Amino acid sequence: MSDYQLHSLVLASDYRVDDVERMWSLLKQRRSHLASIGAHHVVVYSSTWEPGRVLVTIGIRHRRSVPELLRSPAIFEWFDAAGIDDIPAIFAGEVVEKIDFYEPSPEDVVAGVIVGAVASVDNVSALMDKVHGALDRFKRAGVRKIWVYQAFDDGREVMILTEIDNEASARRWIDHPDAAAEWMASAGLGAYPTLFVGKFAHVMSVEAAG
Amino acid sequence: MFVCLCTGVTSQVVNDVVANGASTSKEVAAACGAGSDCGRCRQTVRAMIAAYALNGSPSRT
Repeated sequence: MSDYQLHSLVLASDYRVDDVERMWSLLKQRRSHLASIGAHHVVVYSSTWEPGRVLVTIGIRHRRSVPELLRSPAIFEWFDAAGIDDIPAIFAGEVVEKIDFYEPSPEDVVAGVIVGAVASVDNVSALMDKVHGALDRFKRAGVRKIWVYQAFDDGREVMILTEIDNEASARRWIDHPDAAAEWMASAGLGAYPTLFVGKFAHVMSVEAAG
Repeated sequence: MFVCLCTGVTSQVVNDVVANGASTSKEVAAACGAGSDCGRCRQTVRAMIAAYALNGSPSRT
């Protein structure tokens, strides 16, 4: 993993669109706008449980003022292009750890089911200790990787993307999550979106603005 | 999470404002600015108010 992927700022947003492919087509046309805010990658996951629901992550090259970044026209244009009037809350944070149980796959090959959660936890360091103590159980449950991000604006807030072998394992994980996966119980309240269950749909690399 | 892109108000701030008695999106906007500009975050603010009414805690169990 390149250094900027570990330390860059990550924005994530979860919303619904009428047509995921059309949204993606329109967003690709705005690559230069994304370059203007320092984006390096955009990834779209498409819900398999709720048609039209997407989880979009945008990696930003350099840490900078998040409020300033969010006020930029490129962000509003992003939602405008997707046909979104009511803008959802946006997660802004950085990677705590990316745990891959298998050899990392190419960035455009994510075969499993993605379970995404934003939640408040008691203590992120303690959470990571619990996760590391449960890795064997996670693997037996079908977990392929866990990516943990911590919010800039709230030290207790995390976004966790879990890739799980298949739909059946994902359902079992959601119905009976491991005790160490405390985020599963607190996702979906208030500004936090409900658990996202879906598949990798698209990725776009964005070259640095010249 | 950042609730209001215009003002940079976070869910923590909105949670605090709601816990201190704001019960409409207008009251939240008056107290912290969230939703006072373009207004496109008001649905999120209303969801947070509803969660507080339901759980007595906007985003934490």
